[in-house]
Amino acid sequence: MNTFFLTELVTPDPNVRIILPELVVAAAGIIVMLYDSFFPKDRVTSGIISLVGLAVSAFLLVGLWSSEPLGSTSWNGMIAHDNLRLGFSIVFLIVTAMTVLISTVWVEREDVPVGEYNALLLFATFGMMLMASGNDLVVIFLGLETLSIATYVMAGLRRGDLKSNESAMKYFILGSFASAFLLYGMALIYGATGSTNLTVIAEKVVNPNFPALLLIGGAMMVVGFGFKVAAAPFHVWTPDVYEGAPAPVTGFMAAGPKAAAFASFIRVFVLGFPFIAGVAASNYLHETWMTVLAVMAMLSMTVGNVAAIMQNNVKRMLAYSSIAHAGYALVGFLGAGAANRGSSQDAAIASVAFYMLTYAVTNLGAFAVISLLAQKNDRRSDFEDFNGIGFKSPVLSFTLSLFMLSLLGLPLTAGFMGKILVFRPALEAGSTLLVVLVIVAVINTAISAYYYLRMIVVMFFKERVTEWVEPKMPIGLAVALLVAVVGVLYLGLFAGGVIEKFSQSRSGYEAQLK
Amino acid sequence: MEPSLASYLALSGILFTIGAVGVIYKRNAIGMFMCIELMLNSVNLTFVAFSRYYADTTGQLFVFMVMAVAACEAAVGLGIIIAFFRNRISVDVDDASLLKN
Repeated sequence: MNTFFLTELVTPDPNVRIILPELVVAAAGIIVMLYDSFFPKDRVTSGIISLVGLAVSAFLLVGLWSSEPLGSTSWNGMIAHDNLRLGFSIVFLIVTAMTVLISTVWVEREDVPVGEYNALLLFATFGMMLMASGNDLVVIFLGLETLSIATYVMAGLRRGDLKSNESAMKYFILGSFASAFLLYGMALIYGATGSTNLTVIAEKVVNPNFPALLLIGGAMMVVGFGFKVAAAPFHVWTPDVYEGAPAPVTGFMAAGPKAAAFASFIRVFVLGFPFIAGVAASNYLHETWMTVLAVMAMLSMTVGNVAAIMQNNVKRMLAYSSIAHAGYALVGFLGAGAANRGSSQDAAIASVAFYMLTYAVTNLGAFAVISLLAQKNDRRSDFEDFNGIGFKSPVLSFTLSLFMLSLLGLPLTAGFMGKILVFRPALEAGSTLLVVLVIVAVINTAISAYYYLRMIVVMFFKERVTEWVEPKMPIGLAVALLVAVVGVLYLGLFAGGVIEKFSQSRSGYEAQLK
Repeated sequence: MEPSLASYLALSGILFTIGAVGVIYKRNAIGMFMCIELMLNSVNLTFVAFSRYYADTTGQLFVFMVMAVAACEAAVGLGIIIAFFRNRISVDVDDASLLKN
């Protein structure tokens, strides 16, 4: 017993090339932080360093796409290199780059400590990338906490504003509460399988005689991940936190951490234990889990869309809309779980990554406009504040309308392609449950038309009673808006290339699935 | 006689439940935070018990990570609670009622 510590020693196999994109982001974060302590007033350079770091990381990631064989690992199997990781990491880098650009508006208006803010954003990105690439429960947990702790701080960055304080405190307490559940789930899964490595866990789970602890552990992890993706019934924190946080941070939270949580969720539940053992081990268990998660998806969509109708604050409305979008993405997730062929599973995973990309681009675009109009402490973020601005500032209102239509999922926009792609694997899986789920999703899309179109109606057809001064647009925000508009149209019209890239070839898991 | 694995798991389950119920019923932010720490520590106990059971060091490694993360969470969380206290002169979560439907 006393010597077992020594027998476990293995030579580390870092294979640093694979995690280089992550390391670059973390290093950029540290550089930004150090630079800020010497030149605290230099906002522009700090932003440029962040963007350069993100660009270098993206460049390395795209390089890895073709040079490194999929399925290779680093750090003795703790980091996986596959389509899931590559697709989602690109989404995170785009989200953060756009957030840095959008933030230029409130950073200047409210004199935010910009070095700290950009460093936090980069550390959060580092955490998100680890969540997508971690093939070990330890790495996923560390990534999740790196991300969460950074976002708690960002939500409360307006220290003098009561709403921001409240948002940060609610997010912190409920977030750590959910993390504790996730962690307990991880502990029980470790207990059931004797390993924290997902590849090893997947091998053990195929045996139908796995301990019941695994099921309790799985349920606990669903609570934790459900919280992080903001799916009903674990969504109650979302509206309050999103409304109170500064608008660019809200945009970031809705796009980035949600996608990261989906990446880990898929990694653990679809690739780690194909919905607890999969059809091969126990058909009954597989069906039960599918039903539970399908109900979660239906609830998210319905609760999100119905509650969004009744909101008067635009940020709050978008918070409920983000709950609904988590429900739509869960449809693709279930499609991946139900897929009986490796290739269709890959396509389903890629569709979720693509969905998160379309949602991120659209949502960040919408938040860019809202940040610009909101003024100090976001006090102009009610529907009334958008009354009649349509023809007074046509550029802003037409772009915001485009984003609303894309969130709704109108053809020719990114949102439409995203929805089509996540619904398809669910329909192809050939299960009645999933067909019902897709029908519910389509009905919900129709309901959501009410509040997305309301935004457009308010802007173009309501009289404005108060005076209207068009805000000055900083160059960074203009670039972000341009990227969002081009992204929405490009992903809507030419999605084929992107989706092909995301599901490029078989991931390294196929062998284990069979 | 050494206590069995089951007794450790039962103890950690009970501690976790106490923590979770505490978070739900406490109205004081600091108290809620302490309950969350209790939950994290019950998880640590589970990890250590399984680590001993399997004679595998991964669980102990995980505990170190959890402890480090809990320390970071404490630093950030207390900062957030102090910021709230400065503006409200209270750490009662019922006072956090500005954001509601």
